[in-house]
Amino acid sequence: MRQAIRALGWAIYILWLVIIVFTVTAVYSAFQLGLDFGDWQTSTSEGTVTLTLPFSVENNGFYDIYDLNVTTIVRENNEQLLSSSSTVVPLISSGNKINATHNISISFENMTSASLSRLLFYDADLDMEMSFALRYAGVIPLKIGRNFTAPWGAPLGNLTIGNVAVNQYNSTHVRTTLPFSFENHSFFSLNGTVRTEIMNTLGQQVGGTTTLINVPPQTGYSTQFMVLIPLSGSGFKEARLYFDTSVFSYGPVVMPLG
Amino acid sequence: MAVVKGVLWFVFLYVVPMFIVSSLSEFAPEIFSSYENLLLLFVAIILFFVVASELTSGTIFQHAFNIGKALILMIFIVVALEGGIVALDFQGFQLVADLRIYLAMLLTIDLVGLAKSVLQAINFLSEKAESQLPTPSPR
Repeated sequence: MRQAIRALGWAIYILWLVIIVFTVTAVYSAFQLGLDFGDWQTSTSEGTVTLTLPFSVENNGFYDIYDLNVTTIVRENNEQLLSSSSTVVPLISSGNKINATHNISISFENMTSASLSRLLFYDADLDMEMSFALRYAGVIPLKIGRNFTAPWGAPLGNLTIGNVAVNQYNSTHVRTTLPFSFENHSFFSLNGTVRTEIMNTLGQQVGGTTTLINVPPQTGYSTQFMVLIPLSGSGFKEARLYFDTSVFSYGPVVMPLG
Repeated sequence: MAVVKGVLWFVFLYVVPMFIVSSLSEFAPEIFSSYENLLLLFVAIILFFVVASELTSGTIFQHAFNIGKALILMIFIVVALEGGIVALDFQGFQLVADLRIYLAMLLTIDLVGLAKSVLQAINFLSEKAESQLPTPSPR
């Protein structure tokens, strides 16, 4: 029995040695991690706005890092989910550095019309959850997360149609002039067309026009729509606007005419 | 002897770790400063059992205290590591660490220590019983 007791004593010493060495080296290694973020980049494609965050992880510790998973969830203030994006790096070996990019895509095409109209016309604060999950040294899963808000700039902020001016054009038509303006508060350019339909009090289209727009981020846009309307048409009731841009298509936006 | 052992364990388990914890607290005081109280409690438990075990050395109570120490340390480790899932808030970041494997390693050591203490107690009792047997007289 004495030998068994002695053997257990040695086992305890060896296990303590292993766990102390592991603890010390793991804590030391954690302080040797380097995490760098680049500048946000934005891009747009068919119906989708993409934010790209370049990042690099330098692992100067003793242990490998497995299954690094960067996740970002974007919600409106009312908890409506706008985007859920993940980037996975399977392995960061000890002594190595990896460069990767994390893409956050917000698709306008799959968005509900209520969400889309809120985001197109009103600035807002978006709730973002960003988390880094990984398996450290193969045995310790870690997750580091942070919640923050990010401002959203409406691409069609302060959309207005001013007072309609009507002038005689010829014996059959009048020329109506509609002052039209909006401010692109977003981080992407608006390139595309605005189609305008003028509706009379009977709900019939009596005229229309299509205008090219090219509005850089954080700038305003104003123009005057010139529309020829036959004299036989009834009084104007409303203008219907249809936006067709490289990022989204939306319409009609019904604007009453004074 | 009990005092000497107590002082040595105090230096080994409290002074040195506190120096490390204090150094780390400069980087992340929200995280490491909260562990100072746990470390103090851990040292208090160890010191109590080391001194008690030393004072009762040579009796069955020494082994009883060793068994008690192993059991209480197991409970302490589970409570200190929050069952293996440790969640911390640090400068607006939420950190969650799954330390269940680490916890299992620590509990394994304590279980081996418990087994050793039980065997020592059995050995102590059996030797004591053997020493009380009548010595056979030569014919």
